[in-house]
Amino acid sequence: MQKEKYRVVAGPEAYFVPSAARMGIVLPEPGEAHIEGTIVPEEEAMEFAARKLIEAKNPTIHPGPLVLWNWNEKAAKKAKAIKILADAIPARMIPMADYRPKYPKINPEVEINPNHPNLTIWHNKEDVCLFVGVHCHMANLSLKIIRGGTSCFTIAMCAQAGHEDAMLSFRDATAEKILRLAEWVSKLKAAPSVRPAEKGTGDGAGRKSEKVFVK
Amino acid sequence: MANELSETQKSQIGKQNKKGQTYTDPNHLFFKAPRTAAFYTGSEVIKEAIRRASVDVMVAYPITPQSEAAALIGELYAEGYVADYMRGESEFAVMGQCAGAAFGGARVFTTTAGPGTMRAMENFPMWVGSRLPIQMIVTCRGINSPLSIQPDTLEMYFLLGTGMLMWHAETAQDFFDWMLMGYIVSEQPDVHLPLALCCDGFFVTHTKDTVMLTPPEMCLPPYDPYRSPVVCMDMESPPVRMMRDPFIMKSNYISYMTHASWQEETRAACERSRKHTIPLIGGLIETENVDAEILIVASGTAVSQGREAIRLLEDEGIRVGLVKVKSLRPFPFEELREATKNAKHIFVPEFNVIGWLATELKAALPDNHRIIAGPHVAGGMTMPAEVIVRKNSDLSGVFGYYAAGVS
Amino acid sequence: MPPEYRDLVEQSTYGHEDRGWKDIGNSKELIEAHSLCAGCPESMAFRYILASLPNPEDTVMVGSTGCTSLVFPMVAVHNIHSLFGNQNAVASGLKRALTVRFPDRIKDVVVLAGDGATVDIGLDMTLQAWFRQEKFTTICFDNELYANTGGQESGLMRKGFVAKMAPTGKKFDKVRLPEIARESGCCYVVNLTVSKPSLVEKVIKNAVLLAREVGPTYIQLYTPCILEIGKNSMEGLQEMRDSEKPGERFNYKEYITDEAKQYLADLDAKKKSAVIPAAQLTE
Repeated sequence: MQKEKYRVVAGPEAYFVPSAARMGIVLPEPGEAHIEGTIVPEEEAMEFAARKLIEAKNPTIHPGPLVLWNWNEKAAKKAKAIKILADAIPARMIPMADYRPKYPKINPEVEINPNHPNLTIWHNKEDVCLFVGVHCHMANLSLKIIRGGTSCFTIAMCAQAGHEDAMLSFRDATAEKILRLAEWVSKLKAAPSVRPAEKGTGDGAGRKSEKVFVK
Repeated sequence: MANELSETQKSQIGKQNKKGQTYTDPNHLFFKAPRTAAFYTGSEVIKEAIRRASVDVMVAYPITPQSEAAALIGELYAEGYVADYMRGESEFAVMGQCAGAAFGGARVFTTTAGPGTMRAMENFPMWVGSRLPIQMIVTCRGINSPLSIQPDTLEMYFLLGTGMLMWHAETAQDFFDWMLMGYIVSEQPDVHLPLALCCDGFFVTHTKDTVMLTPPEMCLPPYDPYRSPVVCMDMESPPVRMMRDPFIMKSNYISYMTHASWQEETRAACERSRKHTIPLIGGLIETENVDAEILIVASGTAVSQGREAIRLLEDEGIRVGLVKVKSLRPFPFEELREATKNAKHIFVPEFNVIGWLATELKAALPDNHRIIAGPHVAGGMTMPAEVIVRKNSDLSGVFGYYAAGVS
Repeated sequence: MPPEYRDLVEQSTYGHEDRGWKDIGNSKELIEAHSLCAGCPESMAFRYILASLPNPEDTVMVGSTGCTSLVFPMVAVHNIHSLFGNQNAVASGLKRALTVRFPDRIKDVVVLAGDGATVDIGLDMTLQAWFRQEKFTTICFDNELYANTGGQESGLMRKGFVAKMAPTGKKFDKVRLPEIARESGCCYVVNLTVSKPSLVEKVIKNAVLLAREVGPTYIQLYTPCILEIGKNSMEGLQEMRDSEKPGERFNYKEYITDEAKQYLADLDAKKKSAVIPAAQLTE
């Protein structure tokens, strides 16, 4: 019965993606993260994620409601940290403003949403994305759908236990942790071995990220 | 480290509730706090567990054999240990009331049995899809016509597909420990699912047993709804434009995909509960002498009867091992494969007419011709240990074969 | 952020003491859009109700399966759909949980469901919540049939009306739920159409305020399904006006207990007295 260990890699994986948890992937413990389902020390994942974000053609951050709204002090701090991270990469920001099916359609340039029959993550042009501040259930839905149908490399900066359905996931995210990732980005950008990819269509990550909207 | 508390919960540890109980670190409460022996019925044990569980809302409804337990929680409410308590009008309504309270961020408890479980059935997949960590005690009884109030585990078969976590307690001690542990597991943000904690009615609820209780002055930390994987419906957390749970009704692939992913995610949550459950209840299964060539695999009170049969067989010089299945959802596939790898004959005694545990095992284990479904009893019949011994011998001649010393 | 959220922050009426139906068109509405049929009176009813809630920032709504549940995802107030017909059970549990968790604050719970959910499949739970004096408002969108499933007979349908599942005409009278509500313990019951927004506003405000302190309240609103009764998009308003004439099914009807009357009178008196800051009125 022993099969080769399942790896959570960029898709498109399947018509109907199995959840990584059902394929035997276990979430990291505090101080750890996972890359493609393998548990690693958090710093290793930091470096890996920073490299992925820098090298991406169209790196995109998807901030969710938990960091889009100034509903507690931590949320406001995280929002500021995310802005710093986005500027450091630089990454486009497309928020997941809520989780409703929106009629008649949503604009994938402006927002994404797993409950919408239109999860096309910016017309499928994102090659690396980072989820932060999305309720875990909704993040997992989105991550599964993205892994099923696109080749996007997904990163989750989760405030709880992490996400196996992302290709790379942190856990217990705080503003400090987000800033540490931003520092890794800046550090690696200074290193000659890490080069940003040629930017895609020109309207991609090259432009300045949008402001995080805080109430 | 599994079963972590949130920062909010940690900040409560050491503080007192209005009854003067101290919010206690669960691991301390479960494994380090002193225990005192008490001689109680299963119903009284349910009451004692809830006294220590920091429950916000309990919804009750009379149906044998859980009525006594449900009424005893009412006494706890009158004493101030449970914040709110009500009698619903039917099990369908009760489970809706439980859902409403859980949507609103409360720690919720209820109990049901037999026809009540069946009447409420529409709610359970809804609880799962909505990720509501409600704890429901199921004190199993007959569900067929003609009406029976007697112990019978057929209703559990119907719960297996709902997506709920499902544990099957053998003894009142299991019950006491697992009720408290159950809240900790099912409220984990990566799990956040309802738990059906099942037992065989009367055998567990109405018989007295010695149970080791934790100190009554210690209780679980309160539930923290703000680390839920879904939005708590209290107008305190974003997003404000939020429906639990929206219809995704467009007729196209990605709509169906959303639904499929949603279902897959709830099953993934059930898988994630393993790592939290195993250290608390001591593994999803428990084994004795599984190097023996004959095994009895059972859950609930059938385990106790299996133990007794094993003792009788030992007197005849036949060595039989035992596997107690504690968790049915998640199902202990790997554990069972490992535990049964030496077995040539696997007997599965059950208190229901269809033998659902044997069916589950046949689907999970290699060489499933080894599995002998039975003996079964139903409708409230007891299962004397001799029946297990005799039936097995009658069916297969296996025990005679081993007793004769041929191997 | 999408523009509707920027608008919600800048122009919505959360926290406005005097919010009401006249805000529609000037302020950001709490209902973003609807996917109902063109001209559906239910969409008007939805807008009036959401504009009239006295305390939307602390209101949680409970719906049920039907046309309403296609609108609820667009509503900027937390709202719950779980099953068909269990709305008053869910609301009972929800109100209790919110009372336990926020003992010193007002958290309004408002049920909004169709007539099938309220009167047929959910009748038991509708009535039992009233018997138990659960403190929330129940609003029924009465379109006298099952609209979302395609126009089948319902308990609130008129006798004799020919519909799906009533192929020779409905055999029994429209269920008298307003009277049943009065006898079941509601302190304020109103039966009306949504043809007059100011009236709807007054009724909804009364119902929510009374449910906080006095007891359960029930509002039955005629929201005709123009599609299933063979009318055109423009004819919804006239249909409502026709049905509220004297002797008709939706002629304005109100039951209010003396206690509820007194409570509203006290609120009114407080409002008129300038010494009391407006903020305390609803608390």
